[in-house]
Amino acid sequence: MSAWKGLAARARSILRPGAAEARLEEEFQFHLETETKRLIGEGVPPADARRRALLAFGAIEGHREAMRDERGARWFDDLRADVRSAVQGMRRNPGFILAVTLTLGLGIGVNGIVFGYVNSMLFRPVPAHVPEELAALFTRDAKTGNTGGFGYDDFIDFRDRSGAFAGAAAMTGAPVNLVVPLVAGTAAGDMVWAEIVTEDFFSVLGVRPAIGRFFTADDAPQGGNPFAVLSYDAWQRRFQGDPNIAGRAIRINGSEFVVTGVAPRGFRGMRLLAFWPELWVPIGMQPVVQPSTPRLLHGRGGGPLLVFGRLKPGFDLERAQAVAAEFAKQLEAAYPASNTDVGVSLLPATVGFENPAIVKPRVLMLASALGVVGSLIVLLIICANLAVLQLARTASRAREIAIRLSLGCSRSRLTRQLLVESLLVAAPGVALGVAAMRLASPLEPYLSPKFPFQVGLAPTADIRVMFFTSAIAVAAIVLFGMIPAVRAGRSRLVPSSISGLGLRQSGAERPSRTRSVLVVSQLALSVILLIAASLFVRSLTMADAVNLGFEPRNRLVISMNVGLQGYDQARGLQFYDEVLRRTRLLPGVLAASFAYPSPFDTHDRGVRFYVDGLANTRDGTVFAQATFVADEFIPALGVRLQSGRDFTTHDGGEAPLVMIVSDSLANRLWPGKSAVGQRARYGSASGPDVTVVGVVADAKFAAVGEVTTRRAYLPLKQRYRDWETLVVHTRDTPGRMLARLREVIGGIDPSLPSFGAMTMEQAVANGFGASRSGVAVASFFGLLALLISSIGLYALVARSVADRTREIGVRVALGLTPRGVLAHLMRDGARLGLIGLVMGLAGGMALARAMAGLLLGLSPADPITFTLVPLALTIVIVVATFVPARRAARLDASAALRSE
Amino acid sequence: MPSRRNTEPDPLRGSIDLLILKALSLESMHGWGIGARIQQLSKGRLDVNQGSLYPALQRLEHRGDIESAWRTTENNRRARYYSITNRGRRELGQQLDKWKRFAQAISLIVEG
Repeated sequence: MSAWKGLAARARSILRPGAAEARLEEEFQFHLETETKRLIGEGVPPADARRRALLAFGAIEGHREAMRDERGARWFDDLRADVRSAVQGMRRNPGFILAVTLTLGLGIGVNGIVFGYVNSMLFRPVPAHVPEELAALFTRDAKTGNTGGFGYDDFIDFRDRSGAFAGAAAMTGAPVNLVVPLVAGTAAGDMVWAEIVTEDFFSVLGVRPAIGRFFTADDAPQGGNPFAVLSYDAWQRRFQGDPNIAGRAIRINGSEFVVTGVAPRGFRGMRLLAFWPELWVPIGMQPVVQPSTPRLLHGRGGGPLLVFGRLKPGFDLERAQAVAAEFAKQLEAAYPASNTDVGVSLLPATVGFENPAIVKPRVLMLASALGVVGSLIVLLIICANLAVLQLARTASRAREIAIRLSLGCSRSRLTRQLLVESLLVAAPGVALGVAAMRLASPLEPYLSPKFPFQVGLAPTADIRVMFFTSAIAVAAIVLFGMIPAVRAGRSRLVPSSISGLGLRQSGAERPSRTRSVLVVSQLALSVILLIAASLFVRSLTMADAVNLGFEPRNRLVISMNVGLQGYDQARGLQFYDEVLRRTRLLPGVLAASFAYPSPFDTHDRGVRFYVDGLANTRDGTVFAQATFVADEFIPALGVRLQSGRDFTTHDGGEAPLVMIVSDSLANRLWPGKSAVGQRARYGSASGPDVTVVGVVADAKFAAVGEVTTRRAYLPLKQRYRDWETLVVHTRDTPGRMLARLREVIGGIDPSLPSFGAMTMEQAVANGFGASRSGVAVASFFGLLALLISSIGLYALVARSVADRTREIGVRVALGLTPRGVLAHLMRDGARLGLIGLVMGLAGGMALARAMAGLLLGLSPADPITFTLVPLALTIVIVVATFVPARRAARLDASAALRSE
Repeated sequence: MPSRRNTEPDPLRGSIDLLILKALSLESMHGWGIGARIQQLSKGRLDVNQGSLYPALQRLEHRGDIESAWRTTENNRRARYYSITNRGRRELGQQLDKWKRFAQAISLIVEG
């Protein structure tokens, strides 16, 4: 206890030196007065008494000093002196400080932002109780290996009887029309993503509500109550964080729901790369939430439910997988009609999950690798650069340090001074980095993949990464700043003092080997990152040049979902007709039609066709993608009609069933024949008859790299859909036209949500999603790396020029021309640059081969990339060496000789 | 910080610490009082430089052997009063033992 009190007293006196001084003075004063009084009391005359008291007290200044020393004040005085001399040193060397500040600032800031983003996308565990115990369960087709969702009955059996899980929950996503009553500005409905979840969803996760409560198995058996849980973000944005939100009513698809609570901040559901639900509703409410979809609460052998569970205590993934697979066999035996060949596949769900059939694990892995490796490489480059800068600086200060040591400066004192200097040098850079982190939000749009809905990936600059980067970078500065102290310790004789004081400076002839190696490796790493970035960018531009099979220019899309509004088919068709009628009357509209899915939409639908005598099929049918369109879709979409005709208003519900097929579907169904006039049957040999009236060119709908483009276009009036996308070919500006289109839709039904409004070109660009984000990440890292390593190269050459000023003076005096000086000085820098470039190219080629799968039809040996990157780097090398070298070339010989 | 104590074997400093602790073991006092008490206890034979008490007091306080607080004197003046802590009492006991052994050893040699 007392020892703690002592420490506290010491801390007080150190932290508040002013208070300690004041106390000391008061005590001294009190002592002297008391002693004076005592002496007067003994009969000493007052004037004499004061003098004698002072005498007895002793040297007052000496006591003061003794107390200050004991408090540690001297330590602080020394520190102050160190700081002062470091600041003076920094003032004398602004170029060095600028280089360190830029390196640190860019490194810390951008690395924090970009890695933070990658981290929030891919590595952040779900904020659930022990997320490591969570696992996703997929059905797995024993024949094809395809993974998929579950039917409700199978889910219940797995949850209750498989023995693999301590608890399990299921979910399926649905876009809903949300109307928030009594809040200004939300008169019209808004399309938001809801997650339909089983009643144990939140209890399996073990999350706690931020406000209110979650629905549970008790108050929502099978979830049959109109309850909704809001996401934290939705609560903040749509309800202004209303603290009394629990119990408020909202309208989902026209039905009233009660908000029971708000999910915790940062909880964004269990999907890894998909939408971020704004609300969760119990599965029993599915008929209201998904009015046009079949009931969810039954079914086996695959279905729409995404299932995850908490593994039984003590189970690892492998064991749970074995148990679940065994149970799947039992189900297969019990329900052979539905569950034959239905196996299961268990995946870790710590960070959320995606169906591996949709999001390829390899793509995820590559994206993660790019994020992590990119970030680490940048970190390496930063450290290497800081090391180069510090080494260059300490080398040129060898003389000063030698003098200090020979004058008796102790090693610990020198160490401390260098430490203070290093930390001070790092300070502005760290500050800049922290400030740069504020750029996170403006950068966000470039980094996030875009979807037609607000998805809220919420990439946040990661503070931990920032700390990590800062710590490593500052450690690099300190470490390399300490080298003179280490050398001083190694040899007390201080050999450098001789050369330092003499004519020759050690290490000045040529940049030191260590520094050269560091600069070369920086450049090589930058080249690798640049190649990755360039390949990504190139694969995108290649994609633009690919024939899409439709014309995306001057076209707008906007989607609407009338099913959510409770429209039946008749009313829906009437609505579609009215939208088309009014749209086609708008000035500037060249063509308008409906198409769902439209190209590069996030969804796709399929349909099977039966044709007599079809070769190479199991049951005589062929699968094709289907797009449900209105009349005159061909000019609206900009696809090319090969033969036959477009749909007209006459292809209605009463008319014979017709369709238009793509080239490849025509060739598959009727190889070698003209398809127009041919007949097929929907689904099976006994399905309804449908006649081909036209053939259009193949168009790419899902991805640029897509192979299968067998597609059937079916008239909306014969195959009704309650979710359609209006496609408009216009010569007006997109912004003005979109506003008019919204007016048209709102004019017919003000509470109908429209969404996904964009130009077709945007839609195509968005189709790249992940690879586009990859481009941004790689580009940021690449440019950052290039910038930092060019700073390093520049600093190296500049330093070596400064160190060789005298040598240059001698050479010039001996008749070397300025041009000769330039060539002489640039040679070293250029040599290092070229070595770095060659090494980087070798590494880049290896990397390119590794990421070939992501490069949508681009050769990994892309000639443009492998021309542009070396070219760019050559320019950087030339500039970084030329600028400082030119300064030296302009030197006056006599001035240079006097520079020592 | 015992190591610090060992590195500074200044006999006077050590004895001042001992004297202060001894003086404070009876009652809390301010700086002047401590000086006066030492004088009185030594019957005037130990004439310590009064001001050098204060660095010693600060050192002892930082070590945790004594603690201090502002209080009012009987003359209604504000003064810093020092009192011994438990740690200080233990320290005093040890120092006294050491001192006695040392004194005995010296007297054995000198008188023997």
